[in-house]
Amino acid sequence: MTFAVVGTPGDRRTEMFAAACRSAGLDEPIVVAWRDVLRGAAPAVASGSLLRVDSPGEDAEVDALLRGPGDPARVGGGARWYASFTTALGRVAAAAEQAGARQLGDVDEIAVMCDKRRCHARLRSAGVPVPEALPPVYDYADLRARMTEAGLHQVFVKPAHGSSASGVVALRAGPAGRVKAVTSAARTAAGLVNSLRLRTYETEPEVAYLIDSLAPDGLHVERWLPKAGLDGRVLDLRVVVVAGKPTHVVVRTSCSPMTNLHLGNTRGSVDAVRDALGAAGWERALDVCAQAAGCFPGSLMVGVDLLVQAGWRRVAIGEVNAFGDLLPGITGLPGTWAEGLDTYGAQVSAALALRGPRAAAHHAAPRTVGRDLP
Amino acid sequence: MTINAHLTEFAGKPVVDFRHEQDGEPSDGQPGSSAPGSQTSAGDVAWRVATWFDGPGFGEIFEAFLGTVATAEVTHLVIGYWGASYDQGTPDPVALLTVAAGRLPALRALFLGDIVMEEAEISWIEQSDVTRLFDAFPGLEHVEIRGSQALELRPVSSQVLRTLRFESGGLPAEVVRAVGDSDLPALEHLDLWLGTGSYGGDATTDDLAVILGGERLPALRRLGLEDAQIADDIATAVAGAPVVARLESLSLALGTLTDRGAETLLTGQPLTHLRRLDLHHHFLSDAMMARVRAALPGVEVDLGEQEPLDDDWLYVAISE
Repeated sequence: MTFAVVGTPGDRRTEMFAAACRSAGLDEPIVVAWRDVLRGAAPAVASGSLLRVDSPGEDAEVDALLRGPGDPARVGGGARWYASFTTALGRVAAAAEQAGARQLGDVDEIAVMCDKRRCHARLRSAGVPVPEALPPVYDYADLRARMTEAGLHQVFVKPAHGSSASGVVALRAGPAGRVKAVTSAARTAAGLVNSLRLRTYETEPEVAYLIDSLAPDGLHVERWLPKAGLDGRVLDLRVVVVAGKPTHVVVRTSCSPMTNLHLGNTRGSVDAVRDALGAAGWERALDVCAQAAGCFPGSLMVGVDLLVQAGWRRVAIGEVNAFGDLLPGITGLPGTWAEGLDTYGAQVSAALALRGPRAAAHHAAPRTVGRDLP
Repeated sequence: MTINAHLTEFAGKPVVDFRHEQDGEPSDGQPGSSAPGSQTSAGDVAWRVATWFDGPGFGEIFEAFLGTVATAEVTHLVIGYWGASYDQGTPDPVALLTVAAGRLPALRALFLGDIVMEEAEISWIEQSDVTRLFDAFPGLEHVEIRGSQALELRPVSSQVLRTLRFESGGLPAEVVRAVGDSDLPALEHLDLWLGTGSYGGDATTDDLAVILGGERLPALRRLGLEDAQIADDIATAVAGAPVVARLESLSLALGTLTDRGAETLLTGQPLTHLRRLDLHHHFLSDAMMARVRAALPGVEVDLGEQEPLDDDWLYVAISE
């Protein structure tokens, strides 16, 4: 059995997945470069292979093909990125279909997950707890009006097609007309660029500039739920769900409203979080993650961002990420079938355990495979 | 830096959230509940009463607390998020507490405003006239208040208050002076987070004069003048302040202390009698840090969180 991977040759994701294949005694996966797919080449998917679609990653050339030429560090361009990306996904799916390859990730589901508005709507309609979202907003004035209408005074403003906190704004409106925005977007002469250091904007013109710059690419705005904290740091969880089961957990802790690890934040203790939630609370939290993953039954793996609210009694889903499995050094939860496997090893095992002629309904797998996966 | 986690311990007791039945969570198993097998008393813990963003009104939760818990036994109370003025129908927690004073006869320790950054900026926490608390609860021995928006205090009198702490991003000068003018013969521990002028922290060393004189605080052993944009000025004032001689612990932490302030501290009155000197979060040079340590051999000196002086921008640890 051979895997085909649409990804970036040589990047960490592709290398770690290849290593997982080798560990399982399989051939090296055949890597189909996003660069080639985006340039128009027919995706060379081998007949009968298992097809994994991975992130287009941080390759500057790929980024230019998706968003158009420009500084790769710039914020924005999400709408064009999304149009290019979903078109390419369609071609990958068609090629897979033609080659009789089994797709491990349904491309339509990937498209939903890469649009935070659609993702939120799908979760909400399935009864998955999510923060309340605002109706579409088109600029700063509109945003403030919608916030007032909804009675929300703190929100996360997220570019609809962003990743890695790019362009995400934690916005708060306070007494006496005060406003405060925390974001990784830095204002430069050339426009907004991603920064590894968070910026704070506290004047109305600055915040308006920020939101108005981001809005044309589409925004998803939702209530900023106060996150729980431990040892003086706030936290949330990245929970990877493979074949319907939560298998890998990373606690992301921060002194700022953003928990993304590349922003200088650090991993926290899973045990400490489990203790704070209590055994029943922990089970409920993981169930909610599984429920969120259940909204994407054609995806072998999703990366769920789980928000634990201050007080440790309520949880909600922040996002579901199609490519949320880059968790170096993290092995499966003890007691699960993924124990000892990294996220890639777990996916290789789960993919091999799939039965039936098509890749659909991956989430039937755990019932037949359960904890006895190899 | 920001305050990111709710209290887990307060004034020597573990903090337990009061669980409102509308949470959809069972409230049994709480201390002092009537659940079978419960051996505990409502006085064993510090009760945390709070609402959340889309939760019931704080008034409703506080009423449920009064009606559910054996409040006559409650000694420690932590008041968390109660909403904001821009929410509808947000109550005044001080008024609720004072009205309920008769049902909280054993209350000794109160934290007003256990609100974290994720819930509100510290400088946006809306307080009110807290003098009313001291009037309504003469038995209070330990009081901590976080947030200073609209905070007011008039001089108070208590024979039993031992700990008084104000955490803020900017403490109004009127509050600082009111503390100094209060009659607190038993006060052992006083912390004031003075903050910055941008957030209402307009106190000067003149406003601290009565406190530093020490005559009205005969029992004081721990003094913290912290999170101050005017840390160097405070260091200068402290260097000659009579109150210092009786302290065991002094803190000028969280502020903008530079070599200038440290220099005056070292050339002022002896500090070698202190058990502890807390200067963490500072802008001292390596050389000055070494001098401070060398000058105070028997003192536990906290010089953690040396902040970079490279851009001439001095900032307190906690402001917004």
